[in-house]
Amino acid sequence: MKLSTWLIRRLIQAIGVLLGLSILVFLITRVMPGNPARVALGARAPQEVVEELERRMHLNDPLYLQYYYWLSGVFHGDFGESLFTRRPVLDDIKEYLPATMELALMALIFQAVLGVTLGGLAAGHENRWVDHSVRLGAYLGIVTPSFVFAIVFVLLFGYALRLFPTMGRLSAGVVAPRVITGMTVIDGLITGHFAAVGNALWHLILPALSLAMAGIAQESRITRASIVDNLRKDYVGLSRTFFIPERKILFKYLLKPSLIPTVSIMGLDFACMLGHGFLVELIFNWPGLSRYGMNTMLRKDLNAVTAVILVLGVVFVTVNIIVDLVVAYLDPRIRMGTERGT
Amino acid sequence: MKYNMKSGLIWIVSMFLLVCMSFASFGDEKRVLTSTWSWPTYIDPAVGSDYSSSTALCNLYDPLLMPTAEGAMEPWIATDWSASDDGLVYTFTIRQGVKFHDGTELDAEDIAFTMERLLTIGEGYAYLFRGKVEEVDVLDTYKVNFHLSETFGPLLYALSRLYIVNKDVVLDNIKPDGAYGDLGDYGKAFLLSHDAGSGPYMVQDFSSAEHLYADLFSEYWGYVAPGAPEEIKMIGTTEAITIRTMMGKRELDISDQWQTDEAFEALGRMEGINLLSFFDGSAMYLMMNHTKPPLDDVYVRRALSWAMDYEAVAQDAFPGSIQAIGPFPQLLPGHKGDVFQYHQDFDRAREELAKSKYAGQLDAYPIEYHWVSEVPDFEKLALLFQANCDEIGVNIEIVKTPWLKMIDQAALPESTPAIASIIVAPHYAEAGSMIETRYHSSNAGTWEQMEWLRDPEIDALIDDALATVDTEERFGKYHTLQEMLVEMVPSVFLIEKVEKHAYQSYISWPAGENPIPVMGYTFQFRLMEVDTEKKAALLGQ
Repeated sequence: MKLSTWLIRRLIQAIGVLLGLSILVFLITRVMPGNPARVALGARAPQEVVEELERRMHLNDPLYLQYYYWLSGVFHGDFGESLFTRRPVLDDIKEYLPATMELALMALIFQAVLGVTLGGLAAGHENRWVDHSVRLGAYLGIVTPSFVFAIVFVLLFGYALRLFPTMGRLSAGVVAPRVITGMTVIDGLITGHFAAVGNALWHLILPALSLAMAGIAQESRITRASIVDNLRKDYVGLSRTFFIPERKILFKYLLKPSLIPTVSIMGLDFACMLGHGFLVELIFNWPGLSRYGMNTMLRKDLNAVTAVILVLGVVFVTVNIIVDLVVAYLDPRIRMGTERGT
Repeated sequence: MKYNMKSGLIWIVSMFLLVCMSFASFGDEKRVLTSTWSWPTYIDPAVGSDYSSSTALCNLYDPLLMPTAEGAMEPWIATDWSASDDGLVYTFTIRQGVKFHDGTELDAEDIAFTMERLLTIGEGYAYLFRGKVEEVDVLDTYKVNFHLSETFGPLLYALSRLYIVNKDVVLDNIKPDGAYGDLGDYGKAFLLSHDAGSGPYMVQDFSSAEHLYADLFSEYWGYVAPGAPEEIKMIGTTEAITIRTMMGKRELDISDQWQTDEAFEALGRMEGINLLSFFDGSAMYLMMNHTKPPLDDVYVRRALSWAMDYEAVAQDAFPGSIQAIGPFPQLLPGHKGDVFQYHQDFDRAREELAKSKYAGQLDAYPIEYHWVSEVPDFEKLALLFQANCDEIGVNIEIVKTPWLKMIDQAALPESTPAIASIIVAPHYAEAGSMIETRYHSSNAGTWEQMEWLRDPEIDALIDDALATVDTEERFGKYHTLQEMLVEMVPSVFLIEKVEKHAYQSYISWPAGENPIPVMGYTFQFRLMEVDTEKKAALLGQ
């Protein structure tokens, strides 16, 4: 199968998945307790005002009609109005999604650099103290929830040592760069607003590291195992007979094939971080999509909940496709198999 | 060669990052006051009505009348007023020379527009005036008439919630496609993140997820303390660890009230941090659903009131609180101080039960007690009440219920919990607010009246009291109602809730010592002062 055919097939599958997800989420939000109009307007709002809002939200229509109105709106880029923020859900997503993407990307960088480095170190010193230390650290990293790391980092680096800020995306007094992507670091680089870039990076470090810890632990273990496995392959032995330095074997010849499982996991981790970062965003008062999603769920904000889950679904599906493409690039066997139709 | 290029690239990127990071720190030189709040906040006077919104509105806008700590109303935007003999027309004289943030002058047109907008949109504090205020006439530039459809004694108190908006600014920023015909969205989208006020502070930046930053309005007409903050920041977080860290680093000046007692104790032990407690006019009740047996029997309700350990609730479960005296807080004007108060007495509880039609059959009538899962302290209360009732042979089954579900359940008598522990706050600083909210049948089916009290006699007395324009006469009627309600005991009148805050010692907060019993007004930032030298000393500068 050609790569283009494969891609088209994946996209069609993705549409089916997203459609199914939208129906599921739509139904679930409709059976949650509470009248969203009454919750949004408060107990003392006049009944006619509540009924007007119910009418605008089609809450009294049959479910299939409600879904139809909602889906029509989505195809026109209208996700409805958020009862939480009182503005179009699309505006909320445009504001909060980049914040979470920026956090998750930074976490991914930490995960990639630190996870792979630690995994490589452990593999290179197999069964010695370096290896044991990394593996022990990995176990701790995997079992400890991200919010625990967040609290520890806030107390240690934010409060005791006062090295990093503990909330928000920028310090007070720092002018945010012009919004292009919504990601402050990237926008600052594009517009040349380097003060904002530095400040934004400073604010990103602790929350991103908190979010990345479990991933770093996981990546280090997977990378270590993958490298150790590949070290035993024939081509490595052959490389050694040609007196190629060990470091070159490790980082040039072994790293690429060893990264295949790592990349797959990292892709899924990135997608998960977008949705699971709620507690980290809460602790650092990070105005991200995860925290917004949780707040809207607690308030039965139907439009916002459905939109957030749909957006996360789109990201998940997209990331999966990208991961598959990267893996195909890393492993020529997969690429060649695809091109030959095997 | 490749190795050197790679090293060089790494060096360049590292230096670039270091240069960027050198821009990382910034300091404030202005007097800034930062506080934390439970979000979201709606800064549109026709939309917001919760605590953070009310606080923001008090600072961004001016009300028609200003409440005082003594529970009276003083002239503010309205300097003078009179009522017609039939109590249906109120004439207000408007203060001259008050400027909005855009520099234009506030006049009678803005008053009329504000009320019309509030009534039309129907959200926020509109319920205080809907069905009572028919229209507002502009008599001249500085005079308006409020026409009422029925007499409303507490009108002046309610006007502390009429925040005057700039008519021209709102009309200039209307979105055409909205729910209000020619008036489009009535400026709702604009006022989500901007202000059109005349208050001491004006919006600098508003993020619906994060914060409200506002600057001191240099042309404010009213009193501003000499050391008042030049910038205020309301931050939307109540996360304990964040609060504690920020307080320690002096990045936060006043905490929210939602911290646990343990968190407040820890904050109080920190150098340079004070704790403040005041009564905010709210009260906690065990609302007893009269449609569910055995709570339809007044003797059972009295027995439960005799069984409750009020001391444990006020001192252990909610330290600093005091037992409620009667059906609404004593802080509210119109409260009768010497009304009967229950105390724990199991013998008297058993005597009441013996008179009940359910005597000897209570085993067949277990009572479900629902507590709001978002407030963990309510579980302590539930367990205490269960243990107390066990002493008199009443079986209490405890159920944890999410807040949204409880609001839903309250809509019908059969789904409303038999007992629910709820905190209710007054909407304006007068007993009439609580009496109407809590005990008028028109509010049955809301979370503020889960007793389903539908007594025509009580309704008539409440309507009559609220229609009484003369204050002393009206308060006399409140006293009568108080005694009747204590006799009827629709709920267990538990405690008057104390509100706590941690604040920095370099903040002078006069209203904190002498609070105004109207939500938000204790946080008038223009009356606070920031001692920057003391702050610098605490920061070690």
